[in-house]
Amino acid sequence: MNDTVIASFTKRYESLGGQVRVAVSTESAALAAVEIVRERGGTRVAVAGLDEPLAEAFERALAGAGVEVLREPFTGVKLPHGIDECQAGITGAVFGIAQSGTLAEVATNDAVRLVSGLPRTHIGVVKASEIVERFEDAAPRLRAIFSEHSGACTVSFISGPSRTGDIELILTMGVHGPEAAYVIVLDDAEGRDSQ
Amino acid sequence: MTERYERLCAAVSKALETPERGTALQRCMQRGRDSRGRAIAALPGGEAFRAEVKAIKDRCIDRQDELVAKFTASARARGAHVHSAENGAAAIEYVLDLARKRGAATIAKSKSLTTEEIEINDPLIEAGLRVIETDLGELIIQLVHERPYHLVFPAVHKLTAEVAEIFAKSLDKEVSPDIPSIMKVVRAYLRPIFLDADIGMTGANIGVAENGSIVIETNEGNGRLVSTIGNCHVCVMGIEKIVDTIDEALTLVLAHPVSSSGQLPTTYVTWMAGRAPLGEGDAARETHIILLDNGRKAMRQDPGLKEALNCIRCGACMNICTTYGVVGGHTFGHIYPGPIGIPWTAAVHGLDKAAEFTPLCISCGLCREICPAEIDLPMLIAEVKHRVAKEDGYRRADRTMMDAERFAQVGSTLAPVANRVLKNPTARRIMSRALGIDANRVLPAFSRKTFTQLFPGHTSTVADPVRKVALFIDVYANFNRPDIGMAAVACLEAAGCEVLLPEQRASGYPYIGYGDLDRAREAAAFNVARLAPLAEEGCDIVAIEPTAAYCLCHAYPALLGGSRKSRSVAERSFEIFRYLLDHEPEGQADNLSGRRYGFHVSCHQRPMGSGREAMEWLQRRGAHVELIETGTCCGMGGTFGLKAGPLGQGLSKAAGEGLCKKIRESGVEAMVSESSVCALQLREGTGLPVFHPLELLRHAKGEKKQGGHA
Repeated sequence: MNDTVIASFTKRYESLGGQVRVAVSTESAALAAVEIVRERGGTRVAVAGLDEPLAEAFERALAGAGVEVLREPFTGVKLPHGIDECQAGITGAVFGIAQSGTLAEVATNDAVRLVSGLPRTHIGVVKASEIVERFEDAAPRLRAIFSEHSGACTVSFISGPSRTGDIELILTMGVHGPEAAYVIVLDDAEGRDSQ
Repeated sequence: MTERYERLCAAVSKALETPERGTALQRCMQRGRDSRGRAIAALPGGEAFRAEVKAIKDRCIDRQDELVAKFTASARARGAHVHSAENGAAAIEYVLDLARKRGAATIAKSKSLTTEEIEINDPLIEAGLRVIETDLGELIIQLVHERPYHLVFPAVHKLTAEVAEIFAKSLDKEVSPDIPSIMKVVRAYLRPIFLDADIGMTGANIGVAENGSIVIETNEGNGRLVSTIGNCHVCVMGIEKIVDTIDEALTLVLAHPVSSSGQLPTTYVTWMAGRAPLGEGDAARETHIILLDNGRKAMRQDPGLKEALNCIRCGACMNICTTYGVVGGHTFGHIYPGPIGIPWTAAVHGLDKAAEFTPLCISCGLCREICPAEIDLPMLIAEVKHRVAKEDGYRRADRTMMDAERFAQVGSTLAPVANRVLKNPTARRIMSRALGIDANRVLPAFSRKTFTQLFPGHTSTVADPVRKVALFIDVYANFNRPDIGMAAVACLEAAGCEVLLPEQRASGYPYIGYGDLDRAREAAAFNVARLAPLAEEGCDIVAIEPTAAYCLCHAYPALLGGSRKSRSVAERSFEIFRYLLDHEPEGQADNLSGRRYGFHVSCHQRPMGSGREAMEWLQRRGAHVELIETGTCCGMGGTFGLKAGPLGQGLSKAAGEGLCKKIRESGVEAMVSESSVCALQLREGTGLPVFHPLELLRHAKGEKKQGGHA
C-alpha cells in the first residue's frame, strides 16, 4: 500500500521540479536531511512543525554535522529576519496528496509558514501513511484540522518549488520562495521502524 | 458613439501595423492552451469538472446573502475582522484608515484583480504610503504604470529583453536580458520589502463559509510571505468568491489552475483562517477581510449579466480569443481584459467603458467552450452589445450583416444581375460605402433558384422511410448553393430518411453577433414554434451549416429561457454528419481516395464533435483528411470579416493569418470546411480551393467541381 502511494507521490512531485527521498526510520530521515543541507551548502537551518521525536533526531543529526539549527518557539530569534538568514527550512506536513504531489502543512504560528517560505531550500517531511491518493480526499483531512484548531489556523498546500510563468509564460523556478524543494517520505509501514 | 468607434479603429490599425507583437502574444496564448490541454488529459474525468464548477457557482451565487453571513460569522469566530464595502471608495477609505491607525509606511501586495478593479494603489500612494506589487507580472506593470494585459499573466506583452530593461531602468542596475538574471534582481529587490512591510495586502481566490478561511492560490510564493510577515494583513475579496464548503473550494482550487496554466493545483494554496501569532512575539497581529460589493449585488439581480459572477478568473477565455490575440489586453479591455472583461466592465465600471472595446468580440463563441464554469460568454456579450446599441444605435455595416437573409433574397431574385454587381469593382466600392461590405472580399454568387424553390420539385427516392428528418437549410445553402442542400437530401435519403422542409427562417445568429437580442429571440421563437411540433412527433432536425446547428442546439434554448419547446428542438437537432454517421448504411464506396485534404473546424462545431464526424464521414469514403488547426477562430467570425475597415476585414485577416500560414505550409491540395463563411476566409488566405464535404461527393461522381465561387 505504502509503496504504491509513495511511487505515485514521488512521480508527481518530481514532475513539478522537486525531489523525493524515502527513509525507513527517523534516523535515516534525519540523515537524508543532513545530506540535502550539505548538498545545498547550508550552515544554518530552521526546523518547524515536526513531531517531537523527529524534531529531536533532526536537530541532533544536523548539529552533529556542524549545522546551526533554529527551532520552535524560536526564542531569541528576530523574526522574520532570523529565518530569512537560514539557507534551508525543514517543516513537517500533516498529510500529503499523491495525485497532485502536494504537502499540507499546518500553522497555528506563522513562523512555520516562514520556515517553508523564506529560505532558498525547503525540505518537507511527511509520513507515508499520511499520504492520501486523490485530491478530493483532502476534504475530510482539512475539515478535521480546522475543527481541531478552532482559532487562527493556516493550512498551506505546497507542491514543489516556487515558480512563475510571468515572463512570456516560460516556466521559471524559485522567484520568491524556495528554488529547491525536497520531500522526505518517512515510510512508516508496519514491520518497519518508525520510532 | 462614432468617436468611440473611431478610437477603437485607430487602436486596431495600430496593432495591425506591428504584427510581430501579436505573434508573440499568440505564441503565449498557444502555450497556455497547450498546457491546459495536457492537464485536462491527465485529469480523471477530463472536462467533466466544468459542469461541477458551474453547479457550485450557480448554487453559491443563488445562496449569496446566506453564505456572506455565514462566512462573516465563521471568520470573526476565528479572530478576523470582516468589513463589507459597498464600493471601491469605501474599501479604499477602510484601508487608509487602518494604515493611519497603525502608523504604517509600507504595503506589500500580492496579486489581486479585485484591488486592480477598485484602483486602490493610487489613493494609497497619494496618502504617502509606499505600495509595492510583489507578483512578478504585477510588479513589471506597476513599474511602467500600465494596466494588466491578461487576467493571469498581466505582463504577458513584455518580452524578456523589455522586462530586463524595465528593471535596469527602475532599479538602476545592470540586468542581463535573460530570465534567471531577472529573477535574481527581483528576488534581491523584493526581499527587504517582504521582511519589513507593515501591511500585507492580498486578494482571495475563494472564501469558505464553512470554516471562515480565505484561499489564496499562488505559484511564486509571494502570497504566503505577504500574508505572514506584516503584523497587519488585509484581504480584499469580491462577495461572489464565497462558497459554502471545503469540498466545493477544493474543486475550484483544481479548476482554476488547470484552466489558466495547466497545473493541478498551483504550487501554493493557502487556507488562512484568522491571524496566527508569529514566534513568541506579542505584537497585535490582525487580519482584515474586506467583502466588496461594487456592483456585484446588482449584477446578481440582472438576468442579462448574472452568469458573469460565475467567473473564477482563470483567464482561459483570453487564451483562446482570436481578436484579443491581435490587439492585446489594453485595447481589448478596460481593467478586466478579454471576453469576460466585457460583461464585468459593464457591471462594475459602466456600460460606457465596456462599449469602448465590445465591438472586438466577433462572436466565435470559443470562450464559452473553454470556460471552466461553462459561462455562456457569447450570450452575455450579446447582452452588452444590445445595451450599447439601445443607446447608440447600430453601425451601418452591422445592420447590413443582420439583414443578410433579406439581401440574399433580393440577390437571388436578381441573380444574374446581382452576381455581375458583386464582381464589379465600382459597384463594390459603392456597396462598401453604402452598406459597409468590404470591396475586396470575394462574395459567393447567388443562385437564381433557391433551395426552397427547388425542393418541392424533388421526388423522394425512399420507398420505405425508417425515420423523418426536417432539414434546416439556413442562408447559404438556400440562396447561394442549393446544390449542397440537394446533396444533403440525397445523403439523408440514402440513409433511409424521409426529408421534409418545414417553414423556417434563417438561424438569426448574426443578431446575437451584433447584439440585437430582440430580433434574435424573434427568429428563435419563429423557428422553434415550427420545429417543436415536428420534434415532439419524433421527427429529427438536421442542419448543414454548423452555426445553424449551434443555434438549434445551444443558442435557441438560451434565448428562449430554456422553454420546453426549445429543449424539444435542441434534443432532436443534429449537425448533418453526426446524423449520417449514425444512420447511413455500412460499406460506402471508396471514391474519395487519392487526394490530401486539410480539414478546418468552424468554431460553432466545437461543442458538437469538433468536426470529427465530418472527417470520419469522409474517411469512410476513402478520403485522406487531416485536421489543421490553431485551436482558435479563423478570424472570420461569421460575417465580421466581410465588413470594411480595420474593425472588419483588417482585424479578421490578421486574426486568421496564423491558421492560413499553417495551411499553406501543410502541403494539402485543398481544404474542407462545413462553414460557408470560414471557407471564404480560407480561400482568400491560402489560395487553395475549399470544399464543403458534400461537394466532394458530387465531385467524386464527376459532377461540376466548385470549391470556389462560380
